[in-house]
Amino acid sequence: MIVSLSERGGDLALTADVCVIGSGAGGAVAAAELAEGGRSVVVLEQGPHWAARDFSQREDEMLPKLFEEGGMRQTLDGAVQILQGRNVGGSTVHNLCYCFRTPDAILRMWREEHGLEELTPEALEPSFARVEKELGVVQIREDEVNELNRIARRGAEKLGYSGFVTKHNRKGCVQSGYCLLGCSYDAKQSMLITYVPRADAAGARIYTGARVARIEAPGGRMKRVVGHAIGPDGSLRGSFEVKANVVVLAAGAVNSPDLLLRSGLANGGGQVGENLHLHPSVIATGIFDEEVHGYRGIPQSYYIDEFIDLESDPHSGAILMPIIEFPGMAAATTPGFGRAHSALMRDYGKTAGLLVLLHDQTSGRVRSGDSLSKPSIEYELEERDAQQIAEGLLHCAEVLFAAGARQVLIPYKPEPLMLERGDDITEITRRGARHGQLVTASTHPQSTCRMGGDPGSSVVGPFGECHDVEGLFVADMSVFPTSLGAPPQITTAMFGDRTAHHILENWKRFTT
Amino acid sequence: MSEVEPRIRGQQAWHRLTRRAFLRSTGLATSLTALSGLSAVPALTSEGASGSAPFLSEDDTEVLTQIVERMVASDASGAPPVRETGAIAAIERLLQQLDPSLTQDLPLAIRLFDWGPIVFDFTFTRFVNMDAEAQDESIRCWMSSRISLRREAYAALRNLALLGYYSQDEVWPGIGYRGPLLKEGVGS
Repeated sequence: MIVSLSERGGDLALTADVCVIGSGAGGAVAAAELAEGGRSVVVLEQGPHWAARDFSQREDEMLPKLFEEGGMRQTLDGAVQILQGRNVGGSTVHNLCYCFRTPDAILRMWREEHGLEELTPEALEPSFARVEKELGVVQIREDEVNELNRIARRGAEKLGYSGFVTKHNRKGCVQSGYCLLGCSYDAKQSMLITYVPRADAAGARIYTGARVARIEAPGGRMKRVVGHAIGPDGSLRGSFEVKANVVVLAAGAVNSPDLLLRSGLANGGGQVGENLHLHPSVIATGIFDEEVHGYRGIPQSYYIDEFIDLESDPHSGAILMPIIEFPGMAAATTPGFGRAHSALMRDYGKTAGLLVLLHDQTSGRVRSGDSLSKPSIEYELEERDAQQIAEGLLHCAEVLFAAGARQVLIPYKPEPLMLERGDDITEITRRGARHGQLVTASTHPQSTCRMGGDPGSSVVGPFGECHDVEGLFVADMSVFPTSLGAPPQITTAMFGDRTAHHILENWKRFTT
Repeated sequence: MSEVEPRIRGQQAWHRLTRRAFLRSTGLATSLTALSGLSAVPALTSEGASGSAPFLSEDDTEVLTQIVERMVASDASGAPPVRETGAIAAIERLLQQLDPSLTQDLPLAIRLFDWGPIVFDFTFTRFVNMDAEAQDESIRCWMSSRISLRREAYAALRNLALLGYYSQDEVWPGIGYRGPLLKEGVGS
């Protein structure tokens, strides 16, 4: 049962064994596993429920449908744009389907430095296996690598850089190229067509347009969740309460800590909202003589890992990934204006983007808004991370030129740096990448309710339960103890599965 | 053009105010910062908003139109002229759909943009009365200003302009974008 509270209106009072807040990679998995495990489940999702027929492949129509704050979420100083899903299925509806397990070196670091001895590859194997089976994770075939990714591969191979074709979670992909705007063909195995229908079939009651205002846990035990039904325009259309002994909070690494802070919960160690990592990313754009049309085909299939070695340094590094932008986004993220900008846009069909994604050590924070305002996100790139971004951009330029680009654009603000073939590309590292100097985005906010063994330096324990509140769990990217250093979809889903099975195995504890 | 810093509270310049103090005093920067993040916006179709009062006045719409014309330089590129596309109607529609807390100060920003050459830059001519070259120079003053509010206004108006224009189907052939690949019945 999926009910739009926006359309239903009025007040609602529910009782459930478990209330899941959020329906993305963590929440949807937890909801399905809990419902199939015999628990009565209510899912509260702030955004709407879209289907394939709603995905028009037009960025102007889809981006506001799929993203928090209409796509305008950003850090308080405007330096980093933050793209997060706001719909049933969360960010899995717009992601680009890279499928990576948590790197062993990261798990080792979490065990050794964060008191999480339980997080071994062997212990996590059942959860990884279940998630990968449900999402249909398979190797991308060679014939599915599109021109954009062939360019990245060609450049990397010429330079001897390490890279590989990745796994993904698509079935029957027609390679239209619009994954970022929601899959019109239901080929992407997002939560929207996998775990959400499973939860629904197992009896979970799923409510959309449900904005949670507060979680109440008097005496450190879960009691209820309260909030408002909201219309598409943000208007209040009623209120709801859900009484439950267990709550799984999976609203993402911005909204989850915001809700805990507004509720005055789980912050005994002062860590809620702290330790924010963003995986900040900057795009270098290569301009070629021939047509590329990189927006056609699977957007991301190749992955350059030459500049990240987690085994020798699990705390830092950078990944290079091909990336597409549709015209409106490309225009907005290309600095400058007027004739020079217009000339760049005329070459749109001949461009190939390569982004540097940073495994960041910089820590920011999320601060709460009141019930009617948005959380504030503070993040200022530290010098060592800025240097890594600059070096990563230099390598992007190397790869693009090696692949045949005649020019490479680096998005310095307010006007871009345009490098011609044969130019000295160390101009990038000379200029650097100071905070706010480059057009920067993040699709992976994380670590704001981090997991750890020490209640003084973390928010949740090894199974996602808050140190301070019995029955209150967090199961989204906010539990990552540090920056992940890899695409996060599978790790997030793994934590959702693991938390759900822990709740099921310990259910008696929550009923006494 | 030299930039004149508006003075408030005696000798204190805008850019020396703390951000928090400035937010308390106007609230404008909040809206502009949010709008400057626009790379995703509500439906920018070529249809104008129907049945509701226009967000922008006729005068503000003219200023905005001239800003869009200079931002995309369609006169020089051979691309469709702004006034022959649905870009302005699309931006109007967007502004009507966004959360009012994000857009309430935009008309003020547009008017400031129009009067900015006089207020900040000692040029004695409003933006709408300048020739194209002078308008470009005025925009550059906003883009590279030491005053963060001016840079935020530039970013907000720039992004509105670019998104409004490049979301128009008639612009796509000129930039080599072939548009959606939909099977029949999808996305309708």
